[in-house]
Amino acid sequence: MRASRQQKSILVNLVTWALVLVISFPLIWMVVTSLRPQTELFQIPPTIIPRSVTFEHYAKLLEETPFLRYFMNSMVLATATTVVVIAIGTLGAYSLVRFSYRGRETLAAMVLFTYLLPSVVLIIPLYLMMVKLGLANTLTSLVIAYTTFALPYALWLLRSFMAGVPEDLESAALVDGASRMGAFFDVILPQALPGIISTALFTFILSWNEYLYALVMVNSDEVRPLTTGVMNMLITSFNIEWSLLMAASVMMSIPLIIIFAFLQSYLTRGFGAGGVKG
Amino acid sequence: MASATRAPQSPLEKRYARLGVLLIAPTVLTMCAVIIYPLVSALYLSLFSIYTPTLKGHWVGADNYIRVFGSREFWSALGVTATWTVGTLAAQIVLGVGMALLLNQNILFRSLARSLVLFPYFVSTVVAVLIWRWLFNDLYGILSHLLIAAGIIAVPIDWLGKMPNAMESLIAVGAWKFFPFVVIAVLARLQTIPEQLYEAATIDGAGPFGRFFDVTLPQLREVLTIVILLRTIWDFKEFDLIYLLTGGGPVNNTRTLPLIVYQQAFGLNQMGMAATYAVAMMLVMLVFMLIYLYRARRAAL
Repeated sequence: MRASRQQKSILVNLVTWALVLVISFPLIWMVVTSLRPQTELFQIPPTIIPRSVTFEHYAKLLEETPFLRYFMNSMVLATATTVVVIAIGTLGAYSLVRFSYRGRETLAAMVLFTYLLPSVVLIIPLYLMMVKLGLANTLTSLVIAYTTFALPYALWLLRSFMAGVPEDLESAALVDGASRMGAFFDVILPQALPGIISTALFTFILSWNEYLYALVMVNSDEVRPLTTGVMNMLITSFNIEWSLLMAASVMMSIPLIIIFAFLQSYLTRGFGAGGVKG
Repeated sequence: MASATRAPQSPLEKRYARLGVLLIAPTVLTMCAVIIYPLVSALYLSLFSIYTPTLKGHWVGADNYIRVFGSREFWSALGVTATWTVGTLAAQIVLGVGMALLLNQNILFRSLARSLVLFPYFVSTVVAVLIWRWLFNDLYGILSHLLIAAGIIAVPIDWLGKMPNAMESLIAVGAWKFFPFVVIAVLARLQTIPEQLYEAATIDGAGPFGRFFDVTLPQLREVLTIVILLRTIWDFKEFDLIYLLTGGGPVNNTRTLPLIVYQQAFGLNQMGMAATYAVAMMLVMLVFMLIYLYRARRAAL
């Protein structure tokens, strides 16, 4: 009995890890390609393990392409969107969870509805709006456009995180003479902080990865974020330099890896609270 | 003050209600400006014929709708969208539930395995597409070479250039990118199934398959319904992955509704028609959105 159980456990381990490696193979291949010298790239058949490792593609990426500018644009864009959305969303979620007034339920339903809305429906009027406001081709226009998906998403997440804070704590503060906003800053905010942080990180990821709005609203290299910028490098280059593109892909994923490490413990809670948008 | 909080409709209650409205005001204003106004605007624009570069147009009424619903493009794109959605969703569910069951076992380095499985979901679609286009490369792509080395195929496959390969590749990449969502949701649910249920089933003589169908699957039903609804909505409206991987080709065989909207607006310069396509697409989606809203609201109460 024990032997067969052990055998089963070994089998489960092998099958699982084989699948995990197949699933992560594309990502491993991205890293391997980015480190491979150009000459090794164009050989048939390709070898799995590179014979030598080089960082020339990374150097070229930083020195000879507008990659760094795209990177900075994406940083500014994702940070600004996150700050705006979390500031508005935290107050809004608090209101939805703890106050009662007419229309609150309708509002909550609206938030959920907009959370499901396809951006392709909003993109035409938003584009026209930006042209009218004279904001076309600016990072500001993208921050505004990104709130369309980031705000309902953040509200939905924050709402469930705040609902998890025990109401007694707040009542106790109120009894002690704190004002409603005082209780919010002293009790709710610290209690909900882990939830707020993970919502902020998820929002950052969403904005960092967004493509369609950036494609439509921005068409100059000065303000292009990474998603459209890197794709542009693929389209405009005469012969496609795959190792350069793979290096760009690795660099583009680094902030995600860092955030991912932070998010590990929050991950399940975040998903449980309404999922990551995708 | 404590007694005042308990009494309904006291001045304090009213003040609180006002504060609540004040706190939600920035949200409401922002949503009106960037979501509600554009949504109404899209409905309005769908009744016009507008030339994108000049943004000049004239009223055509229901003409756009008559043209859209009477066109072969709309129905074939709807068919393509349905094929893509059903195909990639089915693959995501099978792969996601299977992987969740495996990752729920005692696996060596389990948290590392979980992180590796989840990562495709967090990586940008642009990055995912670049990687897969490199894997699919006709000359140097590793995928064809691995299959040749394994003796499965004789010559490299044209993954994206012809049908039905292009749709199959699209579905596979979509499944790879989005199945982690299913894994996480199912894994979270699996961890809450009481062990006694399995013990009872074992005593009743159920084997591993019996336990899966009699205990696990019924317990997963609720979460799977929600996951399927959400993923149907998200896969249906997917733009980035399809646009970047195949661009709708070969010969519009993978052109879904979101791609038509983009193409009409910024390729053919027909803003009004694009809005019409967008509204028509939303009407189809509305069925799934309403079911999800109903279920999510009921779960929240």
